[in-house]
Amino acid sequence: MRLVLALASLRRNRARTILAVLGVAIAAAMLLDMVMLSTGMRESFRALLLSRGFQMRLTPRGTLPFDTEASIAGATDVTQKLRARPEIDLVSPVLGASVHVLRGDSSITAFALGVDPSSQGDYRLAAGHDATAPNTIIANEDFLRAAGARVGDTLRVAAGFDPQLRTHSGERALVVSGRARFLYLAAGQLAVAIPLRTLQQMTAREDRVSLFMVRLRDPSRIDDVRKWMRIALPTIDVISTADAMARVDERLGYFRQLSAILGAVSLVVGFLLVTTLVTVSVNERVGEIVVMRAIGVSRAHVVQQIVLEGTALSITGAVLGTGLGLVTARYLNTILSSFPGLPAAIDFFLFQPRAAWTAIGLLTACGVLAGLYPAWRAASLPLAGTLREEAVA
Amino acid sequence: MVALLLALQLRTITIDQRLAADAHVRLGDTVVVSASPSTGGDSLIVAAIIGRRADPSEIARSDYRVHLHLDQLQRLIGYGDRVDRFAIATHGDSTADAAVHSINDAAFGFRAYRSRDIAVETSETFAVVSRFHRAIGVITIVASAVFLLCILLLKVDERRRDVAALRLLGISRRSVMLTVVLEAAFVSVIGSGVGVVIGWVTSIAVNWHYQARYQTPLRFALVTGDIVLFAVSLSLVLGIVAGALAARRLVRTHPLVLLGR
Repeated sequence: MRLVLALASLRRNRARTILAVLGVAIAAAMLLDMVMLSTGMRESFRALLLSRGFQMRLTPRGTLPFDTEASIAGATDVTQKLRARPEIDLVSPVLGASVHVLRGDSSITAFALGVDPSSQGDYRLAAGHDATAPNTIIANEDFLRAAGARVGDTLRVAAGFDPQLRTHSGERALVVSGRARFLYLAAGQLAVAIPLRTLQQMTAREDRVSLFMVRLRDPSRIDDVRKWMRIALPTIDVISTADAMARVDERLGYFRQLSAILGAVSLVVGFLLVTTLVTVSVNERVGEIVVMRAIGVSRAHVVQQIVLEGTALSITGAVLGTGLGLVTARYLNTILSSFPGLPAAIDFFLFQPRAAWTAIGLLTACGVLAGLYPAWRAASLPLAGTLREEAVA
Repeated sequence: MVALLLALQLRTITIDQRLAADAHVRLGDTVVVSASPSTGGDSLIVAAIIGRRADPSEIARSDYRVHLHLDQLQRLIGYGDRVDRFAIATHGDSTADAAVHSINDAAFGFRAYRSRDIAVETSETFAVVSRFHRAIGVITIVASAVFLLCILLLKVDERRRDVAALRLLGISRRSVMLTVVLEAAFVSVIGSGVGVVIGWVTSIAVNWHYQARYQTPLRFALVTGDIVLFAVSLSLVLGIVAGALAARRLVRTHPLVLLGR
């Protein structure tokens, strides 16, 4: 009964109700987007880091993975030390370098990863087979397109270029054995993977690597392993998933703050809109409400009916806003995904059911709160005086 | 001071403010600089502490910056007589293109670029952020427009009894409509004026917060004349449209109906 009356009241002023629902829907869409932005980016990055189960990254002291050309010496020795630890399940040494694929007088520059195919966690093979032989190379789709190459083709690949002499060094003929999707590289980045030993020889960085990725048998032992590493490997920095997340938070903290501010603004706008609408609606129906009270309708009934009006507006707007929010989030995600250097797999706006429920829940709570004040005012009207005023008016 | 240090064969280094604060280093202190943590390095005197420039590309970069004498850095990192780039100043903008062509045609193994071309390349991050801000701005404008339209419709709708009274007194529909539209326009302008002040105060708070957070003199939020003009104009147009729509409906309804009779 109360719900029927509340809906009838909203239907009475259709244009006004539609506008209010539209306003709440836009506020809800913005709120959903901001909740998705604040949590999605983090979750997406965490999922990416853990996608192959490696919980630790070991880099040259004071550097981030591939941030500089610094490398770790004595890679074989370090690998053996790491593999000897019972807590460590898998060790993947990686060397990063730029390589030039020679095509007549011109060349294509690509980012190369020197990997051990049996333990690598940098790419997923999409076609062909892994680069297990020393003269093989794995490439991504962008690279194959740029080079006009296919799986099975042989490429002339050089590791260095002297701009003064215009000569290449470390040249090799490598056979494209497979096509892969590289997990941590930016969209559109030309990338290849070469057996570690081959790339070390090509770049004259014998027994050096840029990074080790380490997978633990029991992730809860991470602190123990880290303590041991600090003592046993003093020239190496240990970056856990939590450390990487903290650095991402630091670098992209701006977006989290922006999402908090805009989310709060959306909530306030939704709240104000519903409050204003319900207040005006109640002011217009003062006579009607007083008559209802005079014929014996309880205060609680009046309060519930008015609160229901605000709640109905908020829920309808929030549900519409969820759909709208998903569309705008997709659009905003395409803008932010073009950040240079950002892994293609990162989503700034990651949809999680929890985010949608949070947005709808917050706006519904706002709708209930927004209806409370006008409801309380309407239920507290003095009956005799208001009836007289309405009659005179 | 520096001349004295040079005379004493002590080389100098400049470090950035953040490094000085984090490492508790002061002017005149001696620091040891090496190419890698495991090797010994050179002892250098801190000759200057430099602040960050208002450069967007330095935002969110947490790495420290130091400046060394070129020959010393070359020796420290085993770079030989090599440099990564040369910066060249030309006599005015018009000569820059000629200089670029001349170097590219003549110099073997070099490639010259105009500073502004490099700026376009390196500012891609900010172009993305800017596109994102613009998209958020459009959504905000749509939300504000709907909000404003709704509020003004309600405001005008509240005047139904006054409008009925004016109509019953014999005031023409045109005059009543004009009055209501003027009132809506007035409310819009006053509201947008208050909004501009709030925006201006917010921009001060935003700049204060982010300048402190990123330790940069860069200004993050600017309230320009164009922005103020756009906000006030949009608000005014919406006010007039909302006022006209609501007033049109009111003046077309019989005054007694407006009074609920």
